[in-house]
Amino acid sequence: MSSNKYWKGVEELDQTQEFVSSNANEFSEGLPLEQVFSNDDSTRANRRDFLKYFGFGLGAVTLAACNKAPIKKAIPYVEKPDNVTPGVPLYYASSSVSNTEGFPVLVKVREGRPIKFEPNKEATYFGGGLDGLGHSALLSLYDTNRLKGAMVAGKRKPIAWKDFDKEIVTALNKVKAAGKSIAIVTDGSTSLLSQQAIADFSATYNNTDVVSYEPISYSGITRANNASFGKAIIPAYNFQNADVIVSFGADFLGTWISPIKFHSDYSKNRVPKNGKMSKHYQFESIMSLTGSNADVRVPMKMSNVGQHLVALYRELGGATPHKGMEVAGNNIKNAAEELRAAGNKGLVVCGSNNEADQLLVNAINMMLGGYGTTIDTTNYYMGQNADEAAFTSFLSKAKSGAYGAVITLGSNPVYSYSGAEEILAKIPVRISTSITMDETSSNATHVATDLHPLESWDIKQPYKGRFILAQPTISPVFEGRQASSSLAAWAGADVSEKNELSHAYKYAKKVFSSAVGGDFNKALELGVVENTSSPSVPSFNITGGEAADALATKKGSATELVLYQKVGVRDGAYGNTPWAHEMPDPVSKVTWDNYLTMSMPDAKANDISTGDVVKVTVPTGSIQIPVLIQPGQTKSTYGIALGYGRLLPDDVKNDLKDLGQNAYPLVDMKGGFADYTIGDVKIERVAGASTYEFGITQTHYSIEGRDIIREATLDEYNIDPLAGSHVHKPKMISLWDDYDYSKGHHWAMAIDLNSCTGCSACIVSCSIENNVPIVGRDEVRRRREMHWLRIDRYYSFEAPTKKDLELSIVHGGDQTVEAGEQMTKEKVMEAYSEASEDKSTAYNYYENVKVAHQPMMCQHCDNAPCETVCPVLATTHSSEGLNQMTYNRCIGTKYCGNNCPYKVRRFNWFRYNENDKFDYHFSNDLGKMVINPDVTVRSRGVMEKCSFCVQRIQSTKLTAKRENRKMNTDEFTTACAQTCPSNAIVFGDLNDKSSEIAQLYANDRSYHVLEELGVKPSVQYMTKIRNTKATSTKKAH
Amino acid sequence: MYSADIRQPLVTGGKTYSDVTTDICRPIENKPTNSWWLGFSIGVVLLLVLAGTLAWTVWEGIGTWNTNKSVMWGWDITNFVFWVGIGHAGTLISAVLLLFRQKWRMSINRSAEAMTIFAVFCAAIFPLFHMGRVWLGFWPLPLPNAFGSLWVNFNSPLLWDVFAISTYLSVSLVFWYLGLIPDIATVRDRATSKARKYWYGFFAMGWNGSAKSWGRYEVVALILAGISTPLVLSVHTIVSMDFATSVIPGWHTTIFPPYFVAGAIFSGFGMVLTLLLIARHVMNYQDYITKEHLEAMTKVILLTGSVVGLAYITEFVIAAYSGYEYEQYAFANRMFGPYAWAYWTMMFCNLMAPQVFWSKWARTTPWFIFVISIVVNIGMWFERFVIIVTSLHRDFLPSSWVMYHATWVEVGIFLGTFGLFFTCFFLFAKFLPVINMAEIKTIIKDKE
Repeated sequence: MSSNKYWKGVEELDQTQEFVSSNANEFSEGLPLEQVFSNDDSTRANRRDFLKYFGFGLGAVTLAACNKAPIKKAIPYVEKPDNVTPGVPLYYASSSVSNTEGFPVLVKVREGRPIKFEPNKEATYFGGGLDGLGHSALLSLYDTNRLKGAMVAGKRKPIAWKDFDKEIVTALNKVKAAGKSIAIVTDGSTSLLSQQAIADFSATYNNTDVVSYEPISYSGITRANNASFGKAIIPAYNFQNADVIVSFGADFLGTWISPIKFHSDYSKNRVPKNGKMSKHYQFESIMSLTGSNADVRVPMKMSNVGQHLVALYRELGGATPHKGMEVAGNNIKNAAEELRAAGNKGLVVCGSNNEADQLLVNAINMMLGGYGTTIDTTNYYMGQNADEAAFTSFLSKAKSGAYGAVITLGSNPVYSYSGAEEILAKIPVRISTSITMDETSSNATHVATDLHPLESWDIKQPYKGRFILAQPTISPVFEGRQASSSLAAWAGADVSEKNELSHAYKYAKKVFSSAVGGDFNKALELGVVENTSSPSVPSFNITGGEAADALATKKGSATELVLYQKVGVRDGAYGNTPWAHEMPDPVSKVTWDNYLTMSMPDAKANDISTGDVVKVTVPTGSIQIPVLIQPGQTKSTYGIALGYGRLLPDDVKNDLKDLGQNAYPLVDMKGGFADYTIGDVKIERVAGASTYEFGITQTHYSIEGRDIIREATLDEYNIDPLAGSHVHKPKMISLWDDYDYSKGHHWAMAIDLNSCTGCSACIVSCSIENNVPIVGRDEVRRRREMHWLRIDRYYSFEAPTKKDLELSIVHGGDQTVEAGEQMTKEKVMEAYSEASEDKSTAYNYYENVKVAHQPMMCQHCDNAPCETVCPVLATTHSSEGLNQMTYNRCIGTKYCGNNCPYKVRRFNWFRYNENDKFDYHFSNDLGKMVINPDVTVRSRGVMEKCSFCVQRIQSTKLTAKRENRKMNTDEFTTACAQTCPSNAIVFGDLNDKSSEIAQLYANDRSYHVLEELGVKPSVQYMTKIRNTKATSTKKAH
Repeated sequence: MYSADIRQPLVTGGKTYSDVTTDICRPIENKPTNSWWLGFSIGVVLLLVLAGTLAWTVWEGIGTWNTNKSVMWGWDITNFVFWVGIGHAGTLISAVLLLFRQKWRMSINRSAEAMTIFAVFCAAIFPLFHMGRVWLGFWPLPLPNAFGSLWVNFNSPLLWDVFAISTYLSVSLVFWYLGLIPDIATVRDRATSKARKYWYGFFAMGWNGSAKSWGRYEVVALILAGISTPLVLSVHTIVSMDFATSVIPGWHTTIFPPYFVAGAIFSGFGMVLTLLLIARHVMNYQDYITKEHLEAMTKVILLTGSVVGLAYITEFVIAAYSGYEYEQYAFANRMFGPYAWAYWTMMFCNLMAPQVFWSKWARTTPWFIFVISIVVNIGMWFERFVIIVTSLHRDFLPSSWVMYHATWVEVGIFLGTFGLFFTCFFLFAKFLPVINMAEIKTIIKDKE
């Protein structure tokens, strides 16, 4: 201890008289405590007591204040169920709920709540991916508009199932007694439980007719196959076996038949290996997702598809030439040449629903020898078994009054079949099974409220011999009953729960042992059972020549309307799932709406611009709808998406209430089949209608010639693997020593622009995993969508031909464009077009656009510009290379967002959870059940962005630590990479040299976007290779 | 002091010392005029608009503005830079011109300094309320806290702003108040009512006009002028670094610091002229704020306007020369893109319009100067709008290109800051001498 004497002042040092006397008292004057407390003797207290009282008082006040905190009930398990550990997710193999045929998924369950679908990687046949709608449909489980129990028309509240069943059985017996029939209208589901229940029901009520109804028909294919080889089926298409794919209007990556599976099959051949990749020709009228990925995309009129098929058939040497059949320039010829060379590795698909077209497609595929390799008719697809002929005959029978009762089993014909409502109304007893009050249920007399698929047992068979087991992952939220049990109950079975085993469970086990066989529990664990046979080649009983002759004379119409499905909401069955609506359409980037797609030449000729409301009149009806000018759209063709304009119940609010226009009434049924291409279109502007504003997430079409997406042709790539990526860049020198990431982990991502199709499944998967709020159409209009991951879509023009330019250039102009040069500076072309006098041809080059998709998320830059500018260090860098966001610390200056060169930061402009403008998702108690407990729900006023799914990294690390081992980087992946059906996104640890990511980083095609800024992103993109002819044969230097 | 006969007198009208006192104390000692009431009422109404729109912003969220995923700063930061810029003339006039012994500053420095302070108040509103969580607005202050290792980021130009603006405000406030003390004492000495005597006496801090007091007063004034002078350069330099240190094309420019300082002086003089021309007219101060003053200030406008114009052209030439496509596009987009109207408004108002001051008539015609001063104010607002919005709305990735238009809330807040500004200014004109009586008395017999 120091011997120094410290003194407070000279007075103390001097020890003056005053100091000594005043120092004796701590306070220079006595505290008037005595006076204060003199009124009451009991409070006469000394200093220590005063401190006690003071301390007690403070403590009491603090405790009292604590009482005001909101009371939140966290009730522990009285008896903890086996296997459930709070905080640890469980995964159950089940089936996706968005498509009726079934698709294998894993359901992630936390504390009894399903919170996410994840692809079932065991089900390799299906590709191990999932689409946007598949993810979105999860929210239908937590929909407050779900029916709460058995409903009877005229009563607002559900009635007891016992009374309900009694009423139904009495009604059905009355029908039987009256000698009338009962109709069951199924949704074409591949559910074996439903099929068994219908069989059991029909055994009791032998007056039952079963008819299958689906909103989207593929009868053209089934009828053609029936005619060609006697099997009314849709075959399984094996795109992975195809070297050359020629598609005529079939959007097989977006909406046609089984797009998720096709995605993964297709992508297997899209990355060049040994100098080879598949070649994809797409002939189509609207710009589809599939078309946007084609190597050669040729604008075609869908009504003219027959002519194209005939031309192809002729080129392949299958028919005698017809005169006046010049279509699609040299493209048909080129396609034919390549198909012939590919032989049985060539595949032709067609999106037409006309039997005649499909017959010729069959003939072409037979000629190529694709049956058995690219087309499998043995283990065929079973997801679409409805034929509209059966439904129309049902309707005419219903019209005649032959039915006393109808049971619509999950199907919703009132919405999607024009005129079905009036005819069904003639049937006195209308029973519907659905989970919400959809259009058909609103018109029903009884609604036997179904269970949500996630609450149900089921066995589905999407492909012959391939079974998917679905199991409940949550106990029923409301008082519904599985439709198969309802049917069984009405057939007289006792469906009550016995020994805690539901009727559906026992039923499923029974059906499993009879239809599938094997170990039920093992099958449940895996989720899929394969019981297939080797494919055989069918024998044809019709020749292509007849089919070609039948088509050759059929001319396309001058104008046509194509009814298509959007990748987001598809046929509209799950139209009330906001995630699907907020997911931007992969091509148009429009959210929440459908619209009339129109080509630029047509728009210019009629002086119509995007957002103008027009009246579209076709022979089947008319519709008022806003216009969207779509590059790539064939001139004189128009498109409207089906699946919109749902009439949802009155208590559905906001954006879900107002969802575009229903185009189903426009479907042309005159030819005896549902024709989605309707000729003779009249477009007139609606007088006085104000311009409609779409919620579009990307409004700028062009890439402006910037080095953001690198691409090359296959030939160029084969000569020089660095093709397209050969950029002369300055040597970057850093003034500082960079952080050494070589220790521990260094997380990074690689995105292959060749595999990425832009399908947008990753966007929805990311949103669900990371609790990204849905903001609604109006906020998207204000450009405030919150998606952490977006897919940038850029158009570029094919080089204009000399003839195009001659047509366009009237005034000459002083700029010259070399014909054959890749045009990206659209402004030059615009200038030519605007100078042109003939507006109807001046914009023809808009028909031929090339499309590139680029997923864009936080690049986790090692030199992140966002990090340096935050005044409060709310965004910082981790030692593993992650750009982290600390929500609690964020004060919302938004400086980071401005300084982000990739513009991937998203700001909570409002409180998007508890949003009083919405009544779904985060905004009601039921919707909140879907929140991922591992990720913070952000409050108003903070910035957020992609975190590389840091919660997954952490939980994997913790698991490894608990198990006392090193974590493997392939143990987990991010939500986007996990769901990608084409495996375009790879995430991992760069320091793990054996990992896929480390190998991809060394790939010649890899590059960083905006590399020259020196921000050192951790996301690498890989040059897009198009399988087209080389524009240059020189090796870059 | 030596005076040359060829120079113009600094105060006209043959004023005596007593005239100066009477003239300048008149508005303080008499009932407000109708024109004062009118101006003040408009100010208060706009101030209420400010209160309303800010309350709405805080209640609902800054989603009530139209800023979006790409343009995250819009009118808010435009207005911030606009107001901070306006503040510059006050410091320049009071500090730099004091150091250079420019005596003509004496009749305008008081109101210019007042304007500075009120402008900084207005400016401070924007960085505060543009925060998503304004209630945590104190977090950028380096306060010791109990949260562990939480500290501010000294790399962030926003933090530099916090220091720059607060230093600027405090120095300006002290400087202004110091200059006021002798005049407040004069008002105190003339006061007839008890209340006036008390309050003016309180703020005069016992000023007795002794030679000792004057001596100290002048020394402190010089010291403060010395401290303030670098602030004239530093504040807007630092504000410009908000942009210059970023990576966004159109922001990432080394020319910004001098260019912003010149722009700030330019806009500050524009605003000083606007205010003085009104005050001169309303309060009949033509003899104190003479045409000589106006002419001197228009010359500053002409100079700084040309500097700013040169900066615009330099920026453009460098962008063209850089060979960097993003930079080139950013400037081409300013000129020919969807916000070209804003760019050309800026070019007209800041570069072209002030060139009329080459003409003596233009420099000495008050109504004309008033028109040009308004044009300069508009032009400088657009300069900031052009820099902020046109750079952000189209930056690197065309997929994120957007348009931005303000909502009524944003417009309301901007108009509201004028309410705050004018309310303060009218109160100042009512309760404090708008011309420095003490100093002006030293030059009434003087020439320039």
